[in-house]
Amino acid sequence: MAELTEKNINKGLTILENFKDSKLLTNLNSCVHCGLCAESCVYYLTFKEPYFVPAKKVDLISSIYKRYFTFIGKYVPFLANTKEINDETAKEMVDLFFGACTMCGRCNLHCSIGIDIAYLVRTGRMMLAQMNLIPASIQSTVDSSIKTGNNMGITTEEFVDTIKWLEDELQDEMNDKHARIPLNDSNVNILYTLNPREPKFFPLSISAMAKIFYAAKESWTISTKMYDVTNYGFFTGNVDEATVISKRLYEEVINLDAKELILAECGHGSRAFRWEAPNYLKKEFDFDSNTSVELIAEYIKTGRIKVDKTKLKLRVTLHDPCNLVRNGGILKEQRYILDQVVSEFVEMTPHGIDNYCCGGGGGQLAMSEYNERRMKIGERKAEQIRNTNAKIVVTPCHNCVDQLMQLNSFYKLNVQIKTLAEIVADAIIID
Amino acid sequence: MALLEIEGKAFEVDGDGFLSTPEIWNDEVAKLFAKYDGIEEMSDKHWVIVKYIRKNFEEKGNAPMIRSICQETGVKLREIYELFPLGPARGACRVAGLPKPDGCV
Repeated sequence: MAELTEKNINKGLTILENFKDSKLLTNLNSCVHCGLCAESCVYYLTFKEPYFVPAKKVDLISSIYKRYFTFIGKYVPFLANTKEINDETAKEMVDLFFGACTMCGRCNLHCSIGIDIAYLVRTGRMMLAQMNLIPASIQSTVDSSIKTGNNMGITTEEFVDTIKWLEDELQDEMNDKHARIPLNDSNVNILYTLNPREPKFFPLSISAMAKIFYAAKESWTISTKMYDVTNYGFFTGNVDEATVISKRLYEEVINLDAKELILAECGHGSRAFRWEAPNYLKKEFDFDSNTSVELIAEYIKTGRIKVDKTKLKLRVTLHDPCNLVRNGGILKEQRYILDQVVSEFVEMTPHGIDNYCCGGGGGQLAMSEYNERRMKIGERKAEQIRNTNAKIVVTPCHNCVDQLMQLNSFYKLNVQIKTLAEIVADAIIID
Repeated sequence: MALLEIEGKAFEVDGDGFLSTPEIWNDEVAKLFAKYDGIEEMSDKHWVIVKYIRKNFEEKGNAPMIRSICQETGVKLREIYELFPLGPARGACRVAGLPKPDGCV
């Protein structure tokens, strides 16, 4: 951990000081300690220790606020629940805000007075970013994005070679030499994005989406300059870096004159761009940003792609990514799609906005120091999956896919994990 | 930093079980790491993938693209996921003694 200096503490406090809006102040001052949030949190449900109750995180940031920004805290701090920032506090902030929260927002839903607890955790992370205390493991993912244009450091040459390879495969599969995965075309309907783990290690989802675009006869392209849908700056709390990453994607839509931006199956990436980027960049976007989930649902509804739900006989269940569902409002589209492309679909319990996080959210997947906790909190999800008796788990988020793959191996679930595009591509009928 | 013990041998690893000291890697380490992931016997196909990933790491300092792995080893894409159920990163790269790649893996 970096050294805690007076200067860094003051920088961290500017995050609490700079917010003039009532949202932060209301959230910082409203917790009534009812404890209802405890049973909503996968960390508390797993470890059953008071330390992991979401209200504990609220209390931590609230007591810091009270110490530095209220009369009683400034002059007689021992009379109130206040906390000074010192090495011990800083350590607790890192452990609770980074290491014990996936920012899934399930506690928000169960809070008796509606505190946005995940927002306070994010505010805590923003303080830590100012204090130079972001864990190195997650920061390296942001550094890679800033330096190379994508979070896995893929070179343009490697990327282009991969896309050409996938394009050859698509032409073989479609038996059509004109089937394309277009790169850098301008004036198209859709600029499509990717999670870098797709070209690097898991390209079946790129092939699947290309097949869907081919079947829909869509005018689309991928930019070699900026295709990365992720924005780990959203997780680290370094707003300046999150802004740089968002700005690149924004500028590429303008540069290629695309009518619409389609965000790949990535929970936090779609949330960060769709809901946060206009705030980061302080401007209203004059193009539409939608997710591929909404796009595919639209293709099926309007008959632009034809699908056969009888092709797949295996039982399928669905994992709802927190950032897409509870924090993104996309709930019905993925269910409509599955209803059209699989013959047997079964829900997990609970599901939808009340779904449990897979355990890999909030940047947990990138921070190996918290791996043990991550696998433990994932047991709940593993049991949810097991109870469905499904053979395939679909989830429209590459981050969730990776966590579920590990849960699959660790808890011996013996299921296949797929993205939504992959399951749709297998059901497509080409005329 | 953590200690991972497989069949009486201890290895320094990160929280995700990736080798902290990639330079100590050898065939024996690969076999033990594979075993830990449930791969009882490394087949020829396992070896050709792991050796290629290792060679790329030693020459370029990072994990190769899946395209290179497929084209250089001749193993089909879907087969790689069957050979390494944890995937090319947490599966094959870990067995090849690489550090954990950045990103959603």
